[in-house]
Amino acid sequence: MKRPEKDIIGALFWLAVGVGYAVGALRLNPGTLRNPGPGFLPLVMALLLICFSLFLVVRELFKPESFLRGIRWKNQLLIVASVALYGFVLDLIGFLFSTFILMFVLFGLRFSGKKKWLTVFLFAAATALAGWLVFSVVLKVPFPRARFMALWR
Amino acid sequence: MDFFGNIITGFQITFQPVNLLYCFAGCLVGTLIGVLPGIGPSGTISILLPVTFKISPVTSVIFLAGIYYGAMYGGSTTSILVNVPGEAASVVTCLDGYQMARQGRAGPALGIAAFGSFIAGTLSVLALMFLSYPLSRFALAFGPPEYTALIILGITILTYLAQKSLLKALMMATFGFMLAFVGVDMLTGKARFTFGIPALMDGIGILPIVMGIFGVAEVLENFDASGEISVVKAKLGNLFPSRQDWKDCWKPISRGTLIGFFLGIIPGGSATLASFISYATEKRCSKHPERFGRGAIEGVAGPESANNSACAGGLVPLFALGIPPSVVAALLFAALMMHGIQPGPFIITEHPQIFWGLVASMYLGNIMLMVINLPLIGVWVQVLKVPRRVLLPLILFFCIVGAYAINNSFFDVGVMMLFGVIGYLMKKFDYEAAPLVLAFVLGPILENSMRQSLRISRGSFWIFFSRPVSGTLLVLAGLILLSYFFFNKQRDVLDEKEIKT
Repeated sequence: MKRPEKDIIGALFWLAVGVGYAVGALRLNPGTLRNPGPGFLPLVMALLLICFSLFLVVRELFKPESFLRGIRWKNQLLIVASVALYGFVLDLIGFLFSTFILMFVLFGLRFSGKKKWLTVFLFAAATALAGWLVFSVVLKVPFPRARFMALWR
Repeated sequence: MDFFGNIITGFQITFQPVNLLYCFAGCLVGTLIGVLPGIGPSGTISILLPVTFKISPVTSVIFLAGIYYGAMYGGSTTSILVNVPGEAASVVTCLDGYQMARQGRAGPALGIAAFGSFIAGTLSVLALMFLSYPLSRFALAFGPPEYTALIILGITILTYLAQKSLLKALMMATFGFMLAFVGVDMLTGKARFTFGIPALMDGIGILPIVMGIFGVAEVLENFDASGEISVVKAKLGNLFPSRQDWKDCWKPISRGTLIGFFLGIIPGGSATLASFISYATEKRCSKHPERFGRGAIEGVAGPESANNSACAGGLVPLFALGIPPSVVAALLFAALMMHGIQPGPFIITEHPQIFWGLVASMYLGNIMLMVINLPLIGVWVQVLKVPRRVLLPLILFFCIVGAYAINNSFFDVGVMMLFGVIGYLMKKFDYEAAPLVLAFVLGPILENSMRQSLRISRGSFWIFFSRPVSGTLLVLAGLILLSYFFFNKQRDVLDEKEIKT
């Protein structure tokens, strides 16, 4: 096992111990600062253990050799956000336009080189058009109709 | 009573036949388990502690301490002849000691290790004698806030000196404190974390914990490795180091003695750490650092002296303040508690026979150990030939018997096995055990002094900072923690490179 993974497993274990202990300490009556009860120091220690293990998890997650380092946070977030946006705007601007925007973002993240944005534009437009033809016209998938089109009707 | 009167009383106690016998037995057992890899002084002392319930407190302390410094003598033998450390404090002795043995100089290596240990042991007992009493007088003025601060500082230093990770050491310390709170609360009588188990009302015992972590876990780990160890087939030759050897070694021995003693006083500055630092120091002081790792006699003399004087150093805070700085000191602390003696600054004045008897016995014990180790070295070489397949099951068996003997119940055996598994996993996941054990012992003191302080101050934490001693100690603790974040990298360099290359 690599070190970050090992430490994360360990820290999660201690986190669970800390949480369990904290619950127990709260039931024991921690008392007040003026008159600390039987649960006072146990609670302090449990909270410390929780803090330390959370700190360890975070520290190991951002180590150079951590598996998280292979993740491109910006890309992942953009993809998730654009798909969420897709579902949100689908019935507003219709399949054709929203698919175009989604595919524009997705292709945009993968393409590179000269005339990148023109290629991306063409690919996205082609996918949206082909998708509309195949799914909507040929296969008759009932996509929601764009609501803003109603403005013109 | 005056100083010399005390020393004379101490020797009178030591020369009582029963104490002489137990001192010798302790040294013998210590050498034995020092020589044998697979169990160290912590595990052994916890196994044998129940044996001392029936004898007087001073005799039992003499016996248990003998095991500790005896193990420091014995550990070097295995390191030199087998290249496997007999116990943790002899790890660095392997580097040069084994090389010396391969070059046919096993005799002088064993000799200088024993002589160095003897010199360091004797000098450090002298220092222990002179330092403890004044320090305990000073500590008499300590109130609950000072004790709270002292323990916080102690745990901070302890985790700072942790060899693996400060954060994990802190986690182990908090876990140790959490374990200490199991049982009936002393102030309110409320049962805490006992899960309705009657045996847990008195709390978890320190003995099953230490036996588990330092005995059972060691056995479990050794079962991972297969194969037997092989003793180097070299003639021991003359055990007495030559005049040139002495010329090379008197400085390393004196430096090692000093380093060991002061590191021993510091919480977490165990005999093991002392030996490492001494080795690094010798390498840095040497005009020919390239000889280290190729059989430099200084690399044996320094660390072997350091680990011995760390033993006596560790007794200073135990007797002067009632704060054990190492696992073994924590076990002596527990032994005194089990005899109904509360360790603290009062112990030297209230029970002078214990402190002075122990000190006197340590002078004598060091002489005994020279005799046990040098002329009888052949016996220990034979002991080394006990195969592991015999040894490991036997160690486990002794652990089980020892745990059962604490309360004549199998509950403690279960607790021990549980901590054996925990200790084994801790090794696999790179967690250190010392912070856990020390926090466990210090937990009740910390809790009482903290709650009392907060009652005195009506809930204000200012009480810890407004009093000069506790304020200074806490600021010191804060500075140490801060410095960790600034000097983190250099520290790693010292740990990894200085010693290995």
